Amino acid sequence: MTTAQAPALNVENLQVEFAVRGGRVQAVRGVSMAVQAGQTLAIVGESGCGKSVAMMSLLGLIPTPPGRVVAGSAQLQGRQLLGLPEQQLNRLRGAEIAMIFQDPMSALNPTMKIGDQIAETLRVHVGMPRREAWRRAVALLDRVGVPAAAERANQYPFEFSGGMLQRAMIAMSLACKPAVLIADEPTTALDVTIQNQVLDLMQELQREMGMAIVLITHDLGVVARMADQVAVMYAGQIVEYGSVEDIFARSAHPYTLGLKQAMPAVAGSGERLAAIAGSPPDLFAPPPGCGFCERCPYAMSICQRTGPQLLALDAGHSARCWLQHPQAAGQPAPVYRSEVQP
Amino acid sequence: MLVFILKRLLSGVITIWFIASATFLAMHAVPGDPLANPKAVSEEIRQNLASRYGLDQPLPKQYLVFMGNLLQGDFGISFTQKNRRVNDIIREHFPVSALLGVLALVIATAGGILWGALTAIYRDKWPDSLIMLLVVISISVPSFVFALLGQLAILKLNSWLGFSLLPVAGWGSLAHMWMPALVLGLGTMAYLTRLMRSSMLEVAAADYLRTARAKGLPGRRIFFRHQLRNAILPVVTVLGPAIAAITTGGFVVELVFAIPGLGRYFVQAVQQLDYTVIMGTTVFYGAFLVFMVLAVDILYGVIDPRIRLVGAGGE
Repeated sequence: MTTAQAPALNVENLQVEFAVRGGRVQAVRGVSMAVQAGQTLAIVGESGCGKSVAMMSLLGLIPTPPGRVVAGSAQLQGRQLLGLPEQQLNRLRGAEIAMIFQDPMSALNPTMKIGDQIAETLRVHVGMPRREAWRRAVALLDRVGVPAAAERANQYPFEFSGGMLQRAMIAMSLACKPAVLIADEPTTALDVTIQNQVLDLMQELQREMGMAIVLITHDLGVVARMADQVAVMYAGQIVEYGSVEDIFARSAHPYTLGLKQAMPAVAGSGERLAAIAGSPPDLFAPPPGCGFCERCPYAMSICQRTGPQLLALDAGHSARCWLQHPQAAGQPAPVYRSEVQP
Repeated sequence: MLVFILKRLLSGVITIWFIASATFLAMHAVPGDPLANPKAVSEEIRQNLASRYGLDQPLPKQYLVFMGNLLQGDFGISFTQKNRRVNDIIREHFPVSALLGVLALVIATAGGILWGALTAIYRDKWPDSLIMLLVVISISVPSFVFALLGQLAILKLNSWLGFSLLPVAGWGSLAHMWMPALVLGLGTMAYLTRLMRSSMLEVAAADYLRTARAKGLPGRRIFFRHQLRNAILPVVTVLGPAIAAITTGGFVVELVFAIPGLGRYFVQAVQQLDYTVIMGTTVFYGAFLVFMVLAVDILYGVIDPRIRLVGAGGE
């Protein structure tokens, strides 16, 4: 699998709006990203930055109305996802592109056996007969590390622990060997040791099946561990995009720096965490300039007036910040500084 | 599961005992007695009854005798109807009430689920508003009004058709049953519709429905397998009380439609202070309701696996 190949998922200029009383909230404002087969793209950002909405809109999972994809394109292995009629979308969802969610306790049907819920995917997409689908479901449960899978398949979600449920969710989403797996904060609801096991499992299955993973998270620790590429999102836009080394070692956007400083480090325990002061702009009426400038320690006068474009820095590394503009030389740029530790 | 049922049966017996005792006390607290009207009963029956049921005895003694008979399943002989055993009255007339009740319940449940699901699908559109308006009317207007309106509707329908499609009152064939069962079930149907609507909307917003969509399931499958089944659960919970509402409502509807059900005897007995019939029908209805609620709980366990385990594991 070379990088020259068409990406498993290629999103361009995605814009999503929600109609609310008296106007529209621009939740996603022109997001572009691509992820190759076998690679992991992490989307990082605080709550409400649009990371989940962007991914759910690809699968047609945002409630419409009020939600609406205004513009953009999303190609799954070269096939357009956006604007597909429900029936054709259903053929792809769960088969070519699958999704797992944050809270496994509520993401599974409480009155249906785990085995049936996994087998259901196979029966609908592959047309597998009932018995065979059940056997395959048991095998999948076994593969994701659920002990005594044959018995556990007969149980209901309330009889599973959170970690086991997330494993079952993974088994369900990967049943049809999708090209892309979108994982929306898959470990946020789990405790730390279980988090590790689930992340391990996802990496293991990725190596085995070669799917692309889009990992939505706000945990930079998870990003460092899992991601090949990282997209940092803020106020509905990608503010920095690059390889995991770019993002951690050569952070080029003040927001990325702020996120890193807000990350607890074991060595420096006892110190207060540095928080980013202020709150994100109201996307009901986005500011004309940069969305971050109210909170940015490096803000210049241009930041108030005009929002910056994504500026390419190196191959594959870009940042939406005026500080990276060639004409911004002489400004107190926060880039490539040694204070930054990977 | 067995322990759960046994426990519930035991508490049911206690409930019935309580119903019997309370009714007994309330009945004797009412001034007069069934033998007060000399026309209603002849002298020798009065003697017979007085000695058999010890009406001249002090109240605690009467209570013990009554309980003793009850334990043997003997409700005694009616005070007002010559030589008619209460057990026979129940045996002859309860099936009529039960048939009417079951039909009403089926109409109410099926209608409630159907209308409730429809209002949820057409949320905030005109079918929703229309059905919810009818629901409010059905809940607030008492059943005897609907009973009379129903009879009027049948009359109009028959005269418009030129032949008798449905009988206005009476009992005997399925044609007799539709209108009274509909009237009887209407209030419950409206209540279930409201419940089903809110339950459907709640489930529609649940995470697992999003999962089902993310799995690429066709809409029909999501609706039936994932949404409807989970939305029905709260409806099943209230079926017990719904049966109670329908059985008690039956008294009025039976009177209006001249149906020879048990309800008529129940009402008559209270008017005439017919001790044995009051006690017999009350205890019988009480036992019936306790049993139905238990049956609903067991049914709930079958539908909702979470309850099943708690019931068994709770022991």
